[in-house]
Amino acid sequence: MDCIKICHLYHDILNLYGDTGNVVTMKKRLEWRGFEVSVTDLSFGEFDRNDKFDIIFIGGGQDFEQGILTEDLFKYKAGWLTEQIENDTTVLAICGGYQMLGNYYITDKGEDIKFLGALDLYTKASSPRMIGNIVYSTELNGKMNVAAFENHSGKTYLGKGISPLGRVVKGFGNNGEDGTEGARYKNVFATYGHGPLLPKNPVLCDSILLSALKKHGVLELSELDDRIETGALKNALTLYG
Amino acid sequence: MGIRSSFAVMVGKATAKLLHIMGKGATSLPGVVTLKLCPNVLATLARDIKVICVTGTNGKTTTCHAIADIISANGYTCLTNSAGANMINGVVSCFMNASSLTGKVKRDYAVLECDEASLRHITKSMGSLDVTVVVTNVFRDQLDRYGEVLTTLDLIKQGLAHIPNARLVLNADCSLTSSLVESTKHGDVLFFGVNGGFESTSSSDISDAVYCIRCKTKYKYHSHTFGHLGDFYCESCGYHRQKPSVAVDEVTSFNADSADVLMSIDDKQYEAKITLPGAYNIYNGLAAAAIGRVIGLDDKKIIASMSSLTTPFGRMEHVALGEKGVEMILVKNPAGFNEVISFLTKHCTGEDDILFGLNDNSADGTDVSWIWDVEFEKLGERLREVTTDSQTFFFTGKRGEDLQVRLKYAGFDTGKFKLEKDYRALIQRLMGTGRHTYMVLSYTVMLGLRDKLAEVAPLKKYAR
Ligand SMILES: [Zn+2]
Repeated sequence: MDCIKICHLYHDILNLYGDTGNVVTMKKRLEWRGFEVSVTDLSFGEFDRNDKFDIIFIGGGQDFEQGILTEDLFKYKAGWLTEQIENDTTVLAICGGYQMLGNYYITDKGEDIKFLGALDLYTKASSPRMIGNIVYSTELNGKMNVAAFENHSGKTYLGKGISPLGRVVKGFGNNGEDGTEGARYKNVFATYGHGPLLPKNPVLCDSILLSALKKHGVLELSELDDRIETGALKNALTLYG
Repeated sequence: MGIRSSFAVMVGKATAKLLHIMGKGATSLPGVVTLKLCPNVLATLARDIKVICVTGTNGKTTTCHAIADIISANGYTCLTNSAGANMINGVVSCFMNASSLTGKVKRDYAVLECDEASLRHITKSMGSLDVTVVVTNVFRDQLDRYGEVLTTLDLIKQGLAHIPNARLVLNADCSLTSSLVESTKHGDVLFFGVNGGFESTSSSDISDAVYCIRCKTKYKYHSHTFGHLGDFYCESCGYHRQKPSVAVDEVTSFNADSADVLMSIDDKQYEAKITLPGAYNIYNGLAAAAIGRVIGLDDKKIIASMSSLTTPFGRMEHVALGEKGVEMILVKNPAGFNEVISFLTKHCTGEDDILFGLNDNSADGTDVSWIWDVEFEKLGERLREVTTDSQTFFFTGKRGEDLQVRLKYAGFDTGKFKLEKDYRALIQRLMGTGRHTYMVLSYTVMLGLRDKLAEVAPLKKYAR
């Protein structure tokens, strides 16, 4: 079988909320089905642009470190990342990584910080922080709602061409106002859900994996014994759903 | 003592008495009452006492315990607050409980565990007192508590600003902690640290401080212990670790409940035994040794004291349950949990069972995602080699299911998983195994489980 290549972008900076667990989960669920998987950590500086990835993962980070990051983004990664997104590469972006894909961020002092602009959305600083368990619905997670944890101060607003990843059942989601959570564009899946997101939402994980496997001619994934994962999801939904 | 503070102390003491009669342990309510009546009551209550505040993300409780051990072993008396009472109300209450009706507290020292965010409230009225502040380290804590490490650092800075004449005892190996020297202008600073790093830890440990706090360049390390701790330096701006005057130069052996080390105090080297389990406790022992130097003990006495340190509540506490007993270990954040994992990787055999317990109450951290920053993979790999047919991994707590998922993805054999959320049923089950169990528990799971354990096994009593 083909080797599935995962890129963990800014793995050493955007690693605040156990988000690495998403990479572990994607890797394991592929390996359990017999795929070979490689994970490439990609941080600051130059890199080999010829490397083609099936999945790019971007997590969330601390404000102090996100400041250092935009500099590198525009110097080395912006053009490349936009091109990957336009070429239908699967991208999973969480929280800070999600905001970074948008057009800009308006700080609490009213300044605009330019972001990647690959997705038509923007984020505005707000207070107090939106912290807590979040439950949202999305057809990508099968019959069950997604359970995760959100912790962000930015409110995100989607542009016309962008659909939300899901609808908020409990919690704040994108902005606590319009009931939307996350964003979908081409093969980009963006969300405020930490937890990490994928381990206890295995159906959503497989949906995301399938979007990347299409290029390898794989349209279906064999079933796994997900009793432990589903048990954790049910428990979280019982507590917070 | 002024009329106002006398009255406040009397009312506070009456409250404590009342709570005692009602059968409730007095922790913070007497403090609340007293503070309402006299906000700067600490200045009065602690006026004849030398105060040692211990703050930082990890190791506060163990460090306080070790300091109290050293102080008592050398003939001094001290007052301590309990781990659960580390905010202003708890601190005031602990003074109240020890004071006479007229507000006299007859102790040589007060050793106060201070929550990082509460330090500024606790030190507010201590400007005129003899205060030493120990900062153990600054790590990412429960993620929803203060948001970021720099927020935590700033809270500590605010606490130090109230006491410009205080002596500081700082962890030299923590780039965040040692930056306090520049930002607070305190003159009297003593550093403790580990020279040469630890062999067993990997450099892949997650780091909470990758970039220079001054200039945002990536730190380099001459040696490394764990997390972001080590002999760091910044090539770009020159910020670097300070040489510690109280240090461990070499660990000759890590044992299950102690470490044999070569220790130096002001460049004089000694052989010592630090009787605390786990590599992470080396720092806590060193912080206590540094306090030994601050209170004027000679080197010989300090070194001797290192071999009679004891562990506090939840830090590898043995309970005689069933045939072989259990060890209870408290976990609060990734850095602490990783050290427990290192310990278990070294000492857990196929003959031990492990109970993992996780709640998501505010004292545990409401966001359980931090368990994914814990390197269970190391332990999973080790246990696959040494496991036995009867080995079982038990899970409990409100979010025990999340731990099961985490361990499944870390390569643990899910056939050995048993989830039991009812504490009494769980204890019955553990008693029936005839095996030894390590219990690795978040804070409120430990509290809840201890209550039920007390019904069937003798337990040490701790002030809550
Ligand atoms: Zn620097």
